[in-house]
Amino acid sequence: MDKKLRKIVIAGVMGGISIFLGATRLGFIPYFSGASLTIMHVPVIIGAVLEGPIVGLATGFIFGIFSLIQAAIAPTGPADVWFVNPIVSILPRLFIGPVAWLVYRAVRNFREIPAFVGAGIAGSLTNTVLVLGVLGLYRYLPWKLIGTIAVANGLPEAVLSAVLTTAVIASWRRIETRRGGSSV
Amino acid sequence: MAGRSDFTVSIKLGIGQYVATNSFFHRIDPRVKIVIGVLLIGAAVSGNSLLGLGLIFFLIWCGLLVSRVQARLAFITLGKMLPYLVFLALIQIFTVPRFHESPNVLWQWRILIVTGQGLISGSLLILRFSVIMLGLSLFSYTTTTTQLLHGIEHLLRPLQRLRFPAHELALVVNISLRFIPILAEEAEKLMKAQASRGADFGIGRRMGFIKRMRRMFPLFIPLFVQSLKHAYRLVEAMEARCYTGGRGRTNLINLRAERRDYIALVVGIIIIGGLVTAGLFNIDAFVWRIFNTRV
Repeated sequence: MDKKLRKIVIAGVMGGISIFLGATRLGFIPYFSGASLTIMHVPVIIGAVLEGPIVGLATGFIFGIFSLIQAAIAPTGPADVWFVNPIVSILPRLFIGPVAWLVYRAVRNFREIPAFVGAGIAGSLTNTVLVLGVLGLYRYLPWKLIGTIAVANGLPEAVLSAVLTTAVIASWRRIETRRGGSSV
Repeated sequence: MAGRSDFTVSIKLGIGQYVATNSFFHRIDPRVKIVIGVLLIGAAVSGNSLLGLGLIFFLIWCGLLVSRVQARLAFITLGKMLPYLVFLALIQIFTVPRFHESPNVLWQWRILIVTGQGLISGSLLILRFSVIMLGLSLFSYTTTTTQLLHGIEHLLRPLQRLRFPAHELALVVNISLRFIPILAEEAEKLMKAQASRGADFGIGRRMGFIKRMRRMFPLFIPLFVQSLKHAYRLVEAMEARCYTGGRGRTNLINLRAERRDYIALVVGIIIIGGLVTAGLFNIDAFVWRIFNTRV
């Protein structure tokens, strides 16, 4: 199987999942009083762990562009006002994939499963820290509030990412080794 | 039992807002629209001129009218966002003064200070968002997904010579967009399958957090895994049809630029350039002074 083509298609498919989760709001898991945990960055992490940092970069780029477009065309809340700025929506998301991949490669020498967990946490925290950081630098939000959001929202989101990433990749790897199984 | 099923996911996919009215804007080459769109976003985010942004807002409004699309939806959405916009503008108004050396205070109440710069900052925020929102809405009303994809691929093609993987990136975007309806179908199937096995499902339901987390896993994990299987199948299918990469690849549909496209491009660049220079040369203050001397 052509490796390059596989990377292209995985990047595309993961990008599609990210867009799908965002467009249908399925990717927004309601948390407390209006805030939600989002999982649209999880396809980026999975793509990066499976196929490498460049795929992570491409998928992150698609995630970012789509969050910008959605914020502009179908805004639903105050966050969308900030997300029309590409520095807020696109730039931080480019780093999710590569960071997740780096952590995966680093922890993998130890063991596989913690590597998935680490990648999930790292990717999610990258998203949280960088997006909130840019919001802070633009002074859209006071830093104290940003700190609260990072802890109250960012930490659970990181845990959720780690669980999803590990579950998906573990399932996938087991399926991959079971050649000849029915895929219906 | 009235209404649509809890499981119909595809209805929520409201991205395709194309309205086929064949106006001037519809017929412009998508490459021009993409370039102008990107420049507009960049200029709107960095521009500092209230007048400039206001003028562009007005021009886009005219554009929406000219293209005969139902612009009402865009303005209704903008209206819905107004409370958030005002709220965020207020945050800006009250937090900006801390970073200015010599604010001209217009109004003060205990720790809340309103300065001229603060008001400008807040208004800029509202205008920036409105301009980008209307501009992108106009773009989505007048461009189909296919046109968009062709535009992206043709635009990126010259970069191929600089060893930038233009064709590959265009293909990735293509696959993403075309994969979404497949995902919708899979999601629906999965939800129905899980529900028929006793899981508590549905899109519009409201549930407690733990419950929602728990019912999420049997949906998302198979969704991801099925998608990965789709991906591998797609790769095999492409290879089976002798896909060998982007080198020397030709297209069935070729975008041809006509005179109206060049005109639109030039006009667009002039307008956006005007916004940027207005910000750089502080035209706002200039016009303000003229007004003051007249009055």
